[in-house]
Amino acid sequence: MAVVTILYLLFLVAPMALLLVGSFGQSWSNTLLPTGFTGRWYVEVATDPSFRRAFVTSLQVVGLTCLLNVLIGLPLAYAIQSAARNGVRIAARLLTLLPIAVPDLVLAFGFILAFSSDTLPWLGSFWLLVAGHVVLTLPYTVNTLAADMQQLRLAEFEQAAATLGAPFAARFRDIVLPMVATSLLSAMLTVAALSIGEFQLSNLIAGFLSRTYPVVLLQAFYGATGLACAATVVLLVLAVTASVLSSATARLARSA
Amino acid sequence: MTRSLAYAGVSYRYPGSDAGIFDIDLEIAEGELVAVIGASGSGKTTLLKLLAGFARPDRGTIRINGEDVTGQMPEARRLGVVFQSYALFPHMSALDNVAYPLKVRGIARAERRRQAADALARVGLAERSGHQPAMLSGGQQQRVALARALVFRPHGLLLDEPLSALDPGLRVEMRDEILRVQRDAGIATLLVTHDQEEALSIADRVCVMRQGRLIQVATPHQLYDQPADAEVAAFVGQSNLWPGTVAAAGRVATAIGDIPCDTAGHAPGAAVTVLVRPERVLPVGEAGAAPGVFAGRVVSDRFLGPVRRIDLAVGDGVVRLETHSQETVAAVRIPPAAVRLLPRETAPTGGRT
Repeated sequence: MAVVTILYLLFLVAPMALLLVGSFGQSWSNTLLPTGFTGRWYVEVATDPSFRRAFVTSLQVVGLTCLLNVLIGLPLAYAIQSAARNGVRIAARLLTLLPIAVPDLVLAFGFILAFSSDTLPWLGSFWLLVAGHVVLTLPYTVNTLAADMQQLRLAEFEQAAATLGAPFAARFRDIVLPMVATSLLSAMLTVAALSIGEFQLSNLIAGFLSRTYPVVLLQAFYGATGLACAATVVLLVLAVTASVLSSATARLARSA
Repeated sequence: MTRSLAYAGVSYRYPGSDAGIFDIDLEIAEGELVAVIGASGSGKTTLLKLLAGFARPDRGTIRINGEDVTGQMPEARRLGVVFQSYALFPHMSALDNVAYPLKVRGIARAERRRQAADALARVGLAERSGHQPAMLSGGQQQRVALARALVFRPHGLLLDEPLSALDPGLRVEMRDEILRVQRDAGIATLLVTHDQEEALSIADRVCVMRQGRLIQVATPHQLYDQPADAEVAAFVGQSNLWPGTVAAAGRVATAIGDIPCDTAGHAPGAAVTVLVRPERVLPVGEAGAAPGVFAGRVVSDRFLGPVRRIDLAVGDGVVRLETHSQETVAAVRIPPAAVRLLPRETAPTGGRT
């Protein structure tokens, strides 16, 4: 058990530690560790126009992906959990699980085939990229929210509110939204973490001007090692922050 | 206008199953407390759901104060419902919970807070109004739920197993509290419970449900003294139930011997079930040869605090009795007035859900 744990941590933590060390190293070639200490790689990442553009693109994609997840995922999860018949619930769950079962690569090839035609010539557009991210993350949102709604016994609280005279709109505003707020926030932070690190699909369908941060990052590894390390650390910090916040709020949602 | 809650010929079957409720006719008058008892799956909660509007009957009508509400949504019916789990909104204080039905009716903030505080005071929770539900005990949550269900002056009060989540000690206290609040409000009330003691102690009338049908609707006394059949008798309190045959006018033959009783309405030779409540069986010291006196052998003698419960083997049967006597019991007398003759059950139809 201990051996497994140590090996696991070694393979998980060691590369990240090396990235961190590398990002501050002056030069790093054919030695185990880099030599010299510098912060200039971070300055270069921050000032590089293609990194800057990709960073902004990524933030836009993440923001819109989250927004669309709320607008589509919340009503969908609500509809699934309030569906009276169990069959409907199971069918909806399976449908939303499909994008998880299908490899990203397959989805990307599908996108390329479908959207490079004359009728749907959207390949390489910013909005198609957002759509791709939504397709990949929506199942997560729907499943998390539907499960949380069930665990919160939302249906029963809604019934109670109905007997007290609250019509649907009032119930949604006063009961559903406040009760799922924390769960929704936690789901969106996870979606942000997934979206910010997404590479496979983005790499294949992003246009030259709408490349996301991870896609540009790959190019950086053909150049100076220190620059690549620094750029990766930036991504790592963003993704880890979102994940940590997500699990912290998820715990809050469950204890509420 | 009659002020009441009423079911007229109501049937509802759960989609894809045989379970449901069938041909229900029941009217609950203003101020009356009607309890519905039955085993789990007997349909008692379904009865409540249809009245609250969580489900629509397949047939029949539901009326509130004479108005047909069969097609109305729950929010239009104006009925206060106390859920088994109370369903207090966890993100609102006790006061906000109670004020919520007033809020959705557009009553101004100051006024609704005053009325909600009033309602909380009536259930003895004035000083807890700022607490979240999670910070209240089970009994306190129950009181908040009760206050919330009554604050908007509903046409009826529906209680779904309101005491089942409470400790046994608190149950009796809350039972009396529910009765007090219900009498105070003078409101038609439907209480669904599996606890026959709870039903007998506070209800004006008790309905017994079995397999989705109302088997008997009666006052607690009637139900206990004149149960519709052996199964109802066994469900409500302790009982001796012997299969018997009317031997002659005024005498019924059973496994323990011939018991003298009123056989009016039963021809000699008729098969009956003989019901005698254990507390009506009297221990006697000497086994005289008088009719209605039976000598036997004690097979079990349990001390339950207030009473002793004794099983006495008599003939080919057993007589169960409850007594305060500390004496040795060797024989019992069964007074004719203690005997009820019930129709003999043909084997109960199977497939109970």
